[in-house]
Amino acid sequence: MRDVVTRYLTNTISRRGFLDNLKLAGMTVTAAEGVLSSLSVAAQNTTSSSNSAATEVPAVKTFQGSGGACFAEQLIACGVKYVFGNSASEDAQFYDALVDRPQLNYILTPHEGPGAAMAAGYIKASQEPAVVMQAGAVGLMNAMGQVFNAYKEQTPLVIYSYRTDQSKRAGRDGFEEIANQEQVLQPLTKYSWMARGPSMIAETTRHAFKSAWTPPHGPAYLTWHSDYTDEKTRTEIIQQTHFDTRMRVRPNPIEIERAARMLLEAKMPVLIVGDEIYKAKAVAKAVKLAEMLGMPVTQMRQMWVNFPEAHPLWVGNAPAGTLASITWPKNFDLAINIGNKMQHNGIQPIVSRNVKFIDMRIDYQNMGKVMSTDVPLVGDVALGLDDLIVALEQLMNSKSKEIAIQRTLEVKKYTDRARQIFTGIVNNPEWNNSPLIADRVTWEVAQFADKDAIIVHEAGSVAMHSFNFNPVGGRELFFYYGGHLGSGVGTSAGVKLARPQQQVICLVGDGSFLFGPHALWNMARLELPVITIVYNNHAYGGPHNRAIANVPSGRMVETGQFVASYLGNPDMNMAHIANGFGVKAEVVSNAQELKQALSRAKLATMDGKPYLIDVQVVRRGVGWTDHPWTPNIKGSKQKAKKTL
Amino acid sequence: MCLFFKIKQFFILIMLGFLSVNINAQNISEPLGGSESGKELVLQKCVQCHTDSIWRDHRQDTRAWEATLYRMMGRGAIWTQEEIKSMSGFLADNFGNQSAKLKNK
Repeated sequence: MRDVVTRYLTNTISRRGFLDNLKLAGMTVTAAEGVLSSLSVAAQNTTSSSNSAATEVPAVKTFQGSGGACFAEQLIACGVKYVFGNSASEDAQFYDALVDRPQLNYILTPHEGPGAAMAAGYIKASQEPAVVMQAGAVGLMNAMGQVFNAYKEQTPLVIYSYRTDQSKRAGRDGFEEIANQEQVLQPLTKYSWMARGPSMIAETTRHAFKSAWTPPHGPAYLTWHSDYTDEKTRTEIIQQTHFDTRMRVRPNPIEIERAARMLLEAKMPVLIVGDEIYKAKAVAKAVKLAEMLGMPVTQMRQMWVNFPEAHPLWVGNAPAGTLASITWPKNFDLAINIGNKMQHNGIQPIVSRNVKFIDMRIDYQNMGKVMSTDVPLVGDVALGLDDLIVALEQLMNSKSKEIAIQRTLEVKKYTDRARQIFTGIVNNPEWNNSPLIADRVTWEVAQFADKDAIIVHEAGSVAMHSFNFNPVGGRELFFYYGGHLGSGVGTSAGVKLARPQQQVICLVGDGSFLFGPHALWNMARLELPVITIVYNNHAYGGPHNRAIANVPSGRMVETGQFVASYLGNPDMNMAHIANGFGVKAEVVSNAQELKQALSRAKLATMDGKPYLIDVQVVRRGVGWTDHPWTPNIKGSKQKAKKTL
Repeated sequence: MCLFFKIKQFFILIMLGFLSVNINAQNISEPLGGSESGKELVLQKCVQCHTDSIWRDHRQDTRAWEATLYRMMGRGAIWTQEEIKSMSGFLADNFGNQSAKLKNK
């Protein structure tokens, strides 16, 4: 297998030859194509190195110019195509340098937060580098929420902002100055550094990109005094292929064999999948592993769906965030995690102590933190899956194959029944209500969406169902677990920029939407035809229910005074907000109107235009009335008192 | 605000499993329903993910309880129509509009 991979990467074997070899080795066509797909990045890197030589782009060149021009040159050498930024006068030399460097496209974003979300969305969907920049400390503060998301979600986002204080007057508590600006970002980044002179700008930029893109990924921050951007300097510019290792680690082969033996000894092993699989384009390999053993597959909360949801071995997400909360099976004796971050939000470990646990991921820092781990497999999950599959193939005999077949039938019996029961969701007595129930909205959008649509989901309290996500050529989900709200619209714009051929639908709650609608303007200006659906119940519905659960039968419930829940009186019109950004939009209140609006949205997007639908959704939960209580604070009354 | 929403996301995880079900392979192939009372079903299924604080203060009729339970299907609950009817009947009897109403001012 390794030999075949090496031959493919060194162009000594054709694509077809590669696939034939894998099929001969016992892989299914799907699994073989998955391996091929995951190798494409490495192959492209190899090819781009050759191309670089062919077009005579030197690996290292000396450049002389302003600090801003050096920055631009190094960004180009890093492979950056898009710079997301908000206007910053101290970056003038950089802007000037862009004029003669059309390969570097600057995207002006009207707010740093959604701008950073757009950059992160682009990176997540393209797996290509990008940079987001802001005006000094003040712009940085607006972007920090999305940097937090990037840190939690391990997105290799590179962030730059200058220090307004110039080098010869720093430390005087001047305008926009804060001490040690780079340290503000330290807890949220893998690398945070201030270049100590204009000649260090290019090198600092390289360090940031290398750090961000070395697995496990994460954001990196760079800064320098603003006068360094203006100063002339002489520096080296180095191509990405010559400083970024793009490290790919293979798990320890001894541990791989231990894992394979444990998997074969287990009576009911369960596979937990995670985002590293999506990033490594290794979904087909995860499918192959599950099929070999007849393992039921589940997932803890992640950004992506990492396994085809219609697959007979997919038993659904773990609803309460622990393995014990999956509906079936309950008799599992071993769990193997492939690439899930396993974010712990409760006291109990996600995998309980009495279950054997194999953990495969590159995110070594989070391994062994909470769960006792029988077999740690630190490495790139695509390579690790290859090795584990080969090890199993060598160890499996007719008996273990028969056990896997029987287990597959058992799992399929459950999943067939579960899917049949789920179709009953349409029997909800409120299914045809107006305003709509959230489940009906989701269901209608699922009926409408293209077969390979990308769903960006930032409607945290809305259950995602009916889409049958399939990361291998089907519908994809871009969810979140950073939790700084206001990312959805910006992320959608970035995803559409990266994947122009695919339909992109953004699902947001009204609360989330209000934190960051600004990228609607980018959608209109750049002709990024995203369909945005706002579930508008004029309330923070999720927090409302959870607040009451935290203080059951308390004074809030007794009086009906929910101070932090209701967003109405007056109701906000999201269609009007969209219109203000240059996006066509409408408000709908029932299923028929929604279907018609979706048709109009489709027509608009075919014409390259974004579209927004503000769907009026019913509030559900304890204590809601048609006219919820609002505090008796009226400015007009205060004014009257003062006048008297 | 950020911390607030971070906490919010944590609870969303919990909510995703609201009233999830504890069904094994055997009773999936033989759906529960007529033989078990609504109370037993609620105790069996709802506490899988929740304490009663999540619904203790809810007061609504059978139809609304039924709608609440159907909402859990979108969150991963695998419940038959018969089970939902049985549970909603019990919940409406004990947490219905007529029992210890909330005061909404």
